[in-house]
Amino acid sequence: MNETLGPILRSVEKPGRYAGGEYGAVIKDKKAVKARFAFCFPDTYEIGMSNLGMRILYGSLNREEDIWCERVFAPWVDMQEKMRTYDIPLYAHESGDPLSAFDIIGITLQYEMCYTTALQMIRMAHLPLLSCDRGEGDPIIVAGGPCSYNPEPMADFIDCFSIGEGEENLVEVTRLYIKMKEEGRYTRAAFLHELAATVRGVYVPSLYDVSYNEDGTIAAVEPKYPDVPRRVLKCVMPDMDKAYFPEKVVMPYIEAIHDRIMLEVYRGCIRGCRFCQAGMVCRPVREKTPEVLDRQAKCLYEATGYEEISLTSLSISDYTRLEELTGRLLDWTDKNMVSLSLPSLRADSFSKELMDRIATVRTSSLTFAPEAGTQRLRDVINKNVTEEDLMHAVGVAFDAGKTTVKLYFMSGLPTETAEDLAGIASLAQRVVHAFYTNPNRPKGKSPLVTISVSCFVPKPFTPFQWEAQDTMELQAEKQAYLGEQITDRKVRYTHHDARVSRIEAVLARGNRRLGASLELAVEEGFCFDAWDEFFDYDKWLSVFARTGVDPAFFANRQMGLDEILPWDVIDCGVTKEFFKRERARAYAGVTTPNCREQCSGCGANRLGGERTPCPGCGVKT
Amino acid sequence: MKNNDVKFTLPVLEEPRPLRIRFRKTGNLQYISHLDLQRTFARVLVRAGLPLWYTKGFNPHIKMVFGLPLSVGAESECEFLDIRIERDMSEDEIKTRLNGEVTDEMAVTAVYRPTRKFTDIAFAEYVYTVKAPGLGGARDKVNALFSGGPLVVLKKSKSGEKETDIKPLIRRVSVEPTEGGLTMTAVLAAGESGYLNPELLITLLHKAGLLTGDPMTERYRILRRRVLLADGETEFE
Repeated sequence: MNETLGPILRSVEKPGRYAGGEYGAVIKDKKAVKARFAFCFPDTYEIGMSNLGMRILYGSLNREEDIWCERVFAPWVDMQEKMRTYDIPLYAHESGDPLSAFDIIGITLQYEMCYTTALQMIRMAHLPLLSCDRGEGDPIIVAGGPCSYNPEPMADFIDCFSIGEGEENLVEVTRLYIKMKEEGRYTRAAFLHELAATVRGVYVPSLYDVSYNEDGTIAAVEPKYPDVPRRVLKCVMPDMDKAYFPEKVVMPYIEAIHDRIMLEVYRGCIRGCRFCQAGMVCRPVREKTPEVLDRQAKCLYEATGYEEISLTSLSISDYTRLEELTGRLLDWTDKNMVSLSLPSLRADSFSKELMDRIATVRTSSLTFAPEAGTQRLRDVINKNVTEEDLMHAVGVAFDAGKTTVKLYFMSGLPTETAEDLAGIASLAQRVVHAFYTNPNRPKGKSPLVTISVSCFVPKPFTPFQWEAQDTMELQAEKQAYLGEQITDRKVRYTHHDARVSRIEAVLARGNRRLGASLELAVEEGFCFDAWDEFFDYDKWLSVFARTGVDPAFFANRQMGLDEILPWDVIDCGVTKEFFKRERARAYAGVTTPNCREQCSGCGANRLGGERTPCPGCGVKT
Repeated sequence: MKNNDVKFTLPVLEEPRPLRIRFRKTGNLQYISHLDLQRTFARVLVRAGLPLWYTKGFNPHIKMVFGLPLSVGAESECEFLDIRIERDMSEDEIKTRLNGEVTDEMAVTAVYRPTRKFTDIAFAEYVYTVKAPGLGGARDKVNALFSGGPLVVLKKSKSGEKETDIKPLIRRVSVEPTEGGLTMTAVLAAGESGYLNPELLITLLHKAGLLTGDPMTERYRILRRRVLLADGETEFE
């Protein structure tokens, strides 16, 4: 820690965010390493330190003796102001060195609304914002994370994207950098070209020419050189038992949002909900074995001292050996006063046995996500959860003395009608009713059913990627209509800010023309747009207007099935044909069996994978 | 891999045994609040594999009592934490195990069975290292400032800001000039009958015009060196 920062840290909120020196932080001799990597998380320390991906990548890079990976978080606004006043450039947590001293800067893009913060971090590092303005002495900026599946809105700023699972890919990228430096043939251009040509999963936007039609849609995307791939295939770890696993963890002194052990049980999802990007781009499903998970959990417990283990996956109850895993864990967690928790529950597989094993027993609330109010619409989105499942699940919860149930829904889903919205209210009402008709309910207490309604955001690489988002007017109308349907005080209704969801849709489905808008947004000081207190819809509209971007073109337009989409340059493993088939089934109201029941030929199994429900299936197209 | 299951093989004590841990809170740790320190230490105790005694209740938890809270922005050589163990593990082994789980900035300097109560603490001795050109020559003025009185500062509390004379909370101050600044040793109230945030002495130096620069560019360090009993002399253990 730099001594000169002392008085500044004494004057800002939560100085522990900037102090560093945590137990488990990796310190190396900067003169002895061949490459220095600054891993940036474009949000606060508490959020970044909760991110499992960051923990994994930090560990996998630092496992390499000659690479030193450090962490960087976005300073909160009070600290930003002090850093501007006293001319302190953004620095890395471990060494305190400014980012310009690094070889490679990695930025993880976890959600669209972090783009402005990510770009502010480049500015705070006193580096040119645009990739084309950075020189030979400047670090290479690589981005990854879920949002890089549509890299185009950030294409002007980022030198290269790492697509898919990065634990080996980022090491490969850094290795090539070291090699070219050692061989004396490193230039930014040569490095990026060789990277694109030889390392799987790397997308270098500057090596592609994009041309547009008069209507603003994309006419063509052409690689500039023949050895640059037309489509960039994502990286996957085929065998999760063998994938790198961080046995040491940096222990934050201040409380992180998720201050517990996060045990990643498997990757991917068998379900295929048609709005869900993670469920598609993380395919194929690859499980870890209970033996390996138990060993990793024990190891993490001894390395952290956390008293809670959260079993993390997209849909934990779909893990085929959940009972065996919880059995093994309970063998030692109970006597060590460690509790288990599950972040995601599906109503159709929630049982008393499962609840008895997990820590949510301590809390009085349980959360389920029916997503839509009627069976018809749940079939359209392929949620495959019935009202019976939900009633059974809340019955188990009420039996066990719970009084609070939280239900997540989405409004604005394709084909949605007034009946579907009213269905949300009546479903909540029937949950209230189920409480009062349950003979085992906690006596003398009244239930509270919270319905939280978010706005549908069409996401790349989903069967709904072409759909139009509802206009703001329609969304407001729907939110008000649903509000009117709720008359019982035991039902509490909250909804997301439609304005945020609209900007999210623009950024999610945007193309390179958004680069100018983002550049202007950053110039105007946009930052922390994921935080309600800083998000300003009117300022976003103004920025779009001044850069000639019509937000409706990206958010509210039904895109053509044959249109070249901005993200077509990325190959996430699942084919476009599959998404088209799934879209057609959605409009026909037909569900698709989950991957374990029957292979639907999405194409992801060509990527391989151990302990997957679809080994060796042919790709049906 | 270390073996934390050893704790289950040790002989059970008839009564839970109280233990006192003395540790440092220096360097980066000075920016960590008391609440965060408590959470951090709970995890250190678990990582170290100690045979901890848990409260017997609906929600069992580790029994931890900290000595004297330290203001954020000050460092310390003498922080105290009391715990209880339910199986027999030697104090030496506990110290070794704890030091395997903390950075140097939080090093454990002693583990022993306590004799004194935390309520016996009345004062703390702080060493200030201030780097500010010209201040070394102001030794007499600094001495005069603290031997006179009253010393009124604006104190923030829940009910708003209030002018308070902190002179009664200052037991003694001595000043030594150094190259580029000065070293100041102060014994300040730190107990149930009163507690003075050591940072306020820096505020007083500013108020008296002895420190004149932008506070954000100053360099100073405040270190709690000893914790003292009511006589202001005897060191608390």
